[in-house]
Amino acid sequence: MTERQAPTARLMAGSVRYVPWRYLANVFLWSTIWLMPVIPALITREFFNSLELETGTSPIGFVVGVLAYGLGRMGVMFLAMHNDIHLEFRVSSLLRRNMIGRIYEMPAAQAVQGSPGEMISRFREDVDHVQETLSWTVDMVGAALFGVMAVWILGGIDRGLTLAVFGPLIVMVIVAERFGGRIKRYREEAQTATGRITEAVGEMFGSVQSVKVAGAEASMVDNLRGLNDRRRRAMVRDKVLTAGLESVFWNTVSIGTGLILLIGAGSLAADNGLTIGEFALFVYFLGFVTDAGYFVGIFIARFKQAGVSYTRMVKLLRGGSPMRLVQGVELDLKDSGSTEQATAGVAQQPTAGVAQRPTPGATQQPTPGIAQQSTPGIAQQPTPGIAQQPTPGVAQQLPRNAAGVPAGVPAGVPVPDRLERLEVCGLSYTYPDSDNGIADVDLSLARGSFTVITGRIGAGKTTLLRALLGLVPADSGEIRWNDRVVPDPASWMVPPHAAYTPQVPNLFSMSLRDNLLLGRGDSEDELIAAIRTAALEHDLQDMPEGFATMVGPRGMRLSGGQVQRTAAARMLLRRPELLVFDDLSSALDVETEQTLWSRLLEEHRGATALVVSHRRPALQRADQIIVMEAGRIAAVGTFADLRESSDAFNALWAGISNGT
Amino acid sequence: MHADGAAARVEGHQEMIPVRSYLRILGKYLRPLRRRVVLLTVVALGGIGLQLAGPQLIRAFLDGATGGKSPSDLVPLALWFIAIAVFQQAAKVWATYLSVDVGWSATNDLRADLAEHVLHLDMGFHKSHTPGALIERIDGDVTSLSNFFSAFTIQVIGNMILIGGILVLLWIENVLVGLGVSVFVVVILAGMVKVQTIAVPRWKAVRARSAELMGFIGEQLGGTEDIKANGGDQFMLARFTSILRQWLPEQVRGRHGFSMLWAMGITTYIMGLTVVIWLGSVLFNDGVMTLGSVYLVFHYVQMTHEPIEQIRAQMEDFQKAGAGIARVEDLLERESIIADTGTSRLPDGPLQVAFDKVTFAYADEGDDGLPVLDELEFTLPAGRILGVLGRSGSGKSTLARLLTRLYDPQAGAIRLDGTALTAVPVADLRHRVAMVTQDVQLFGASIRDNLTFFDHTIDDERLLAVIEELGLTPWLESLPVGLDSRLEASGSGLSAGQAQLLAFTRIFLRDPGLVILDEASSRLDPATEELIERAVDRLLENRTGIIIAHRLATIERADDILILEAGHIIESGDRMTLANDPDSRLSHLLATGLEEVLA
Repeated sequence: MTERQAPTARLMAGSVRYVPWRYLANVFLWSTIWLMPVIPALITREFFNSLELETGTSPIGFVVGVLAYGLGRMGVMFLAMHNDIHLEFRVSSLLRRNMIGRIYEMPAAQAVQGSPGEMISRFREDVDHVQETLSWTVDMVGAALFGVMAVWILGGIDRGLTLAVFGPLIVMVIVAERFGGRIKRYREEAQTATGRITEAVGEMFGSVQSVKVAGAEASMVDNLRGLNDRRRRAMVRDKVLTAGLESVFWNTVSIGTGLILLIGAGSLAADNGLTIGEFALFVYFLGFVTDAGYFVGIFIARFKQAGVSYTRMVKLLRGGSPMRLVQGVELDLKDSGSTEQATAGVAQQPTAGVAQRPTPGATQQPTPGIAQQSTPGIAQQPTPGIAQQPTPGVAQQLPRNAAGVPAGVPAGVPVPDRLERLEVCGLSYTYPDSDNGIADVDLSLARGSFTVITGRIGAGKTTLLRALLGLVPADSGEIRWNDRVVPDPASWMVPPHAAYTPQVPNLFSMSLRDNLLLGRGDSEDELIAAIRTAALEHDLQDMPEGFATMVGPRGMRLSGGQVQRTAAARMLLRRPELLVFDDLSSALDVETEQTLWSRLLEEHRGATALVVSHRRPALQRADQIIVMEAGRIAAVGTFADLRESSDAFNALWAGISNGT
Repeated sequence: MHADGAAARVEGHQEMIPVRSYLRILGKYLRPLRRRVVLLTVVALGGIGLQLAGPQLIRAFLDGATGGKSPSDLVPLALWFIAIAVFQQAAKVWATYLSVDVGWSATNDLRADLAEHVLHLDMGFHKSHTPGALIERIDGDVTSLSNFFSAFTIQVIGNMILIGGILVLLWIENVLVGLGVSVFVVVILAGMVKVQTIAVPRWKAVRARSAELMGFIGEQLGGTEDIKANGGDQFMLARFTSILRQWLPEQVRGRHGFSMLWAMGITTYIMGLTVVIWLGSVLFNDGVMTLGSVYLVFHYVQMTHEPIEQIRAQMEDFQKAGAGIARVEDLLERESIIADTGTSRLPDGPLQVAFDKVTFAYADEGDDGLPVLDELEFTLPAGRILGVLGRSGSGKSTLARLLTRLYDPQAGAIRLDGTALTAVPVADLRHRVAMVTQDVQLFGASIRDNLTFFDHTIDDERLLAVIEELGLTPWLESLPVGLDSRLEASGSGLSAGQAQLLAFTRIFLRDPGLVILDEASSRLDPATEELIERAVDRLLENRTGIIIAHRLATIERADDILILEAGHIIESGDRMTLANDPDSRLSHLLATGLEEVLA
């Protein structure tokens, strides 16, 4: 894949468009901050001139002027800082929000590439870097204005000397430009080295139990030391080059002063030449002018580094316009009042809001959008016909999980969307950079049926589920829901149509309740019912805090079996038309598993189930068994059919019956 | 700095902690780098000397110019001035190189020590800290410290020496001027220290929130499938925004701490200029000072401006580092509740296992504190294999965690061949007691590193021998670069069964006397399971084994059986005896299990 350079300037402009007024205010305030030092410079000149002329003027006037200036500067500075904080915060929040948003848009099983630690460094370092660079653009405006002002004042005194002041400066900026490329490369190396370290530390603590049990603490730390050392070398190179360039800039003050002394020697010695006050003014401006030049040089370098960061962030978007990164989204940062509310934080419904949920009458609702179901337009509008709002116009704006299921109403979808038959034709998917995947899979699920997919490891069972659910983008093939083609499985095969329990489910560091609801507004009774079906009710009784129990990072405070059953309950709570389990039973004991299956079939009658399993209870309950081999369907049939006719199935069965 | 109220006293107290921490940590990590630190000091001091000499030349020049000297007398002074400037800059770059190198070397050691320390902390700690948050602490916080080691020491200390030099020269110039400028410098520095103590706690809050946000993002990245396929994406986005919403006010407070420091910088400038204008005009009008001397004072006071500005600028890093170091200290002071004080050795060969009235409850916050194991008592003779059965939550996995000392029981003792676990050094214990869980954790690294946990003392020959023994050789040969092939942390490219086999290889590389398989054979297809069964046979040969399983099939090779329920043994004994006893729990399980599961 070719790596395109992200359009830094356009992306920055995009961020500015998101907060135009704050940015304008920033330009105004920071320009003022840049221009203000002219005032004390002029005061200083007048002071030295008054001494040189030996007028014996009282210093009080000068002192009052200096103090007034100080007060004014502080006022402007506080305003400027305040505005800057809000600007930077919004800019960085938008970048982070859009990256996460994009991750949720992509086929979920492929959204995240690279290790989490390395990904996090994009959310952390890269965003910070870009945000700071953007806020520096304002300083560039200020520096330019200050430059104009300085040239105007100094040029009025002595044009030749002014040239001698600005000459070296221009040379320095050009030097910085030429070194810019190298700075960028060094910075990239340093960033990569940092990414490696974040990755290693993340993995080290993600696997802490294994490391401990293996007694491998020392060798893990040694590995970290090696990575640390590599970064140190990259950092030293980066910093020394930067310091070298900075030093060149600072040196212009001293060398500039030397030049003024050298060139102005005759003029200073002459009676009607340069006054000491004017000399002081020159030196004074020299400092600020090189300051400005220094800022410009650093800014150029930073701007280039921002390009690196943008490129890394855009890569995370994986396709789509880079401008998606700065696409405006309402962030609603205003209400910072109660943290309680903030944690509940669901846009449409606070957790307690079950009672006030709009009563929709799902069944009598006119059925908007069905006519369009087969048109390609659906892909961009995930929710037509799903949300139970009376007016179709409102429905389309709802997020797709907004359709809370009212208590007691078994089906969460309008009648026409009820699953009667799900058909899959010629579904194929191959993982990038490998030969693994599935090819030409056909299957058909009738309403209320229980289908088991079985096969060896690597046969493509999980991949089939992923492709069906849109978690990976199918290369070819068609999925039909009641004879209507599903153009974008990723947005259709979600609750209330389908829900999924992955093989190794993930929970999140929130309460058990939030983990189950993920933003839904189901009642306590519904929660309890789902927990019971998932055979988690005893575990819940043992938790003193009940649904408020915090499950810890990635659910680590629960046992493996509890995590899996929680994930199952999470799925069941959604009362989807299609239940998809990927080997749900792997962390469950015999009795619990049996309980779960029988409760499921009893309480979710009418729901269609698609289950990956190679365990007896599931296979024997199945209305249909699909045997996968090397990514293709090897056989389909009932248990009895397959025992009779399928070699592939009998080979598997032999393994199962041997009791291994 | 007298406290003018209770709040100020509290802040004063907070300020003391980071300062002491800095000194302690500085001393420890700079000691090995002594020579480079000395060189750094010499180079930096040389640069400062040159910086102080410059204005003296300007005074001579100006007094010469106003005193009627010819330009040809003045030109050498100007040239000397330029030469000094060039040397001074060279010294500065050199010093930067040294300080960055020293800073990263020192903090790298700290990072490694911290990582090691945290790795040794108990599982209770790890359960409540996400890897994302630990990344922020071990790398994020320490990186902000590296500024303290390099930029901060050279900028702040170097600039303080520069200011000291200027003050000395001004005292020599004129007592009144020296006194005036000294008072102003002292007042300003005191003000800065004060402001900084207000700002550090604010930064601490900002960083804590940042860690929380990154932890959240890390989890999101790991759980995209769960979230998407269950329609939770909008909720997660809303949650993200709500974290941001709580973060903003803290950011504002934190950054305004920086504004206060900047305001101090402006005050510095104003006060300095006032002092020069006032004293300069009085002393010049009285004829005590020449015009060149007034300019010298002006220039020196200007020169204090830049170092004070730089100190101020570094204060921001100092604040961040202050927040960072407080959290690093916090981590370093945390002790594992697993005390590692044992000195006994375990004998070679299979180990006998004895539980003596072992009671255990998870003490993490959020747990109920109810015992998971209640006065558990059993003995497993050396070389025998025990199958442990029970519902999930019955305490089976806890048994394994206690044996590897991931946790310690609150009461009772566990003994291996008569030696209490606590009497054996933890590292030795884990060398002799091996455990495989179903969830094999892999690293984004080569197969070799995954097998050896980055231990480079294990040579390929040994690795290949073990891989051969496990029947993994054909798979290894199918990989493009053999042992050098890279695995992904997520384990993609590796089936669950292969991951299990890798975990066995890890154990094979040691020679444990006790092997615990915790649900080791779940989530596998029958064919792979068969391969694993063979490997398990080898693994358990001449070793004591504990097999913790949810499925009856897994424990068929067990000699003894233990059935747990709610932390109690409800049945134990020889497997065959129990299986043949129609009233036993096991035979009941086998009956229902065999009918439903195995028949």
